[in-house]
Amino acid sequence: MKNSFRKWLLWAAILAGLYTAPVLFGVFELNLLLGASIFALFSLSLNLLLSFTGLLSFGHAMFFASGAYGTALVLTRLDGCSLLSAIFVGAASAVLVALVLSPLLVRVGGHTFAMLTMAFSQIMYATVMKFSHLTGGNDGMSGFPIPPLVIPAVGLIDMSLERNFYYFSISILGLSAWVMWFFTRTPFGSIMVSIRDNPDRVTYLGFNVPLSKAIILGVSAGFAGVAGSVYALFQNMVSVDGVLGPLSSFTPLINCFIGGLGTFIGPVFGTGIGTILLELMSAHPEQAQLVFSLVLISVVLFLPGGAIMLYWKITSRWIVLRNKFQTAILKGNHES
Amino acid sequence: MNPDRKQPRNMLMTKRLNHYFGERQVLFNISLEIQEGTRHAIIGPNGAGKTTLFNTITGKYRPKNGSILFKGKDVTGFKPDKLVRMGLGRSFQINSTFAGLTTFQNLRMAVLARKNIRFNFFRNLDKMQPVTDETDTLLARIGLAAERNLPAGLLSYGKHRCLELSLAMATDPDLVMLDEPAAGMSRIETHQMVKLIRELTHNKTVLIIEHDMDVVFSLADRITVLHHGEILATGTPEEIKANQDVKDAYLGETKVGNAA
Repeated sequence: MKNSFRKWLLWAAILAGLYTAPVLFGVFELNLLLGASIFALFSLSLNLLLSFTGLLSFGHAMFFASGAYGTALVLTRLDGCSLLSAIFVGAASAVLVALVLSPLLVRVGGHTFAMLTMAFSQIMYATVMKFSHLTGGNDGMSGFPIPPLVIPAVGLIDMSLERNFYYFSISILGLSAWVMWFFTRTPFGSIMVSIRDNPDRVTYLGFNVPLSKAIILGVSAGFAGVAGSVYALFQNMVSVDGVLGPLSSFTPLINCFIGGLGTFIGPVFGTGIGTILLELMSAHPEQAQLVFSLVLISVVLFLPGGAIMLYWKITSRWIVLRNKFQTAILKGNHES
Repeated sequence: MNPDRKQPRNMLMTKRLNHYFGERQVLFNISLEIQEGTRHAIIGPNGAGKTTLFNTITGKYRPKNGSILFKGKDVTGFKPDKLVRMGLGRSFQINSTFAGLTTFQNLRMAVLARKNIRFNFFRNLDKMQPVTDETDTLLARIGLAAERNLPAGLLSYGKHRCLELSLAMATDPDLVMLDEPAAGMSRIETHQMVKLIRELTHNKTVLIIEHDMDVVFSLADRITVLHHGEILATGTPEEIKANQDVKDAYLGETKVGNAA
């Protein structure tokens, strides 16, 4: 009872903080928060594969890129395309890429899966460059219109306004995170976790493992696609190095590791830390990677559960201390 | 033994199965007939190909040639999950549970499989009361209720082995294939295991690999002896005990040595 009350209080505080952020912060910080929310969603989609299914993807950027290019293309080519349909097209293209590749990807695991996804991501890069008349090749795509969000009975909400887009992006992150979280709680979600633990046993319980993996891959790719799509809208630009560059697939992976695997809050936490770290180092970009790597090394070696584990350790220590204190008081009362 | 009546009563039949690992042949013309409702044991020295035979029958490996009939249907080349849905259950020689999940979550997976809840994306599993109740009943039945919330990997070996057996049994299969269920167990644990197997496999067809001769002779109606990937003999426990080839190859090795 007390615990759930505290949980609600925490959520209320987070929501209030996010709601008032545009008032408290300037445009610069707001943009930072916006970017972080997009990459948090990207990291969460990767986390679905990594923590819950045990599949390490080194090429998750291809789904992010599919979303970004899908949205950019439909907005460039199709006049009057609504905002939500543009995002839907982005997500759908990512799912499509995942389903096309799934016959190969679902039959492997471990490092083979990692290498295959990396290779497919490279092929994606080459494909984007090849079809430069559509994708703009090296120059990328930019200047496509950003349609307003139409909410029935409310009206149009202008998405070119920083503040509106911020609320929109945060809502997308929240909604997607909740859907993914619920996904892990369903019967199918338990199959997912079981595949991570022991795919052979899942097969010998009569579940179709390759088909299940294909669905998980599709869902994960879909959310990565949503992230990519919102990214394209946010930047109003998609460049091949921005979404498919060498670090595109690794940034969310590093965020997951820094934040903490196996939880939903971890990757969000990690993305926050990563964003702040990069920002602090933005004056010295050449040293940024070094600092980032040192943080990653320290987390992997000394804090295997990620930053979230540190938080839990501190709170559990606090609870132990508090209990000790309370027992001491009780004892004192008893004796007196 | 009217041949017309015999055919439909076959739960499992293999016809001249051959299997290779690369160039090396590991199974030679394995023909088995498992009658419905019997307990059939496969024995043989290490490396005889017993587990390979299990893997071939259950579809993990595809036999190079030969065919497998399950419930009278040709299932050669079927994948394990399909065979399991047709009514086959299997336990492994080395525990194959979900070590990171609790005992309850382990068995719940089996309950989901039996209830045919697979691609359900819209309900919170924790709130599906019938699934929870059935899992708890199962836990009590196999005597692991006290370990409900313990990760399977932390169970004692004997209890972990029970869970392994239960996972094979929980889908309510018609044919149960047990790969050395009593491997590595103490006398007492083995005794309990045999009791549990008897209880859980009541009225079911069982194919069992076992090294422990006490277990084999106390459980099995029929025995097949496998040696270097070939069937040496098949028969009732008495016939096998009396079989000279079996004695020479496997059972009586020490006795022959003592006699000499």
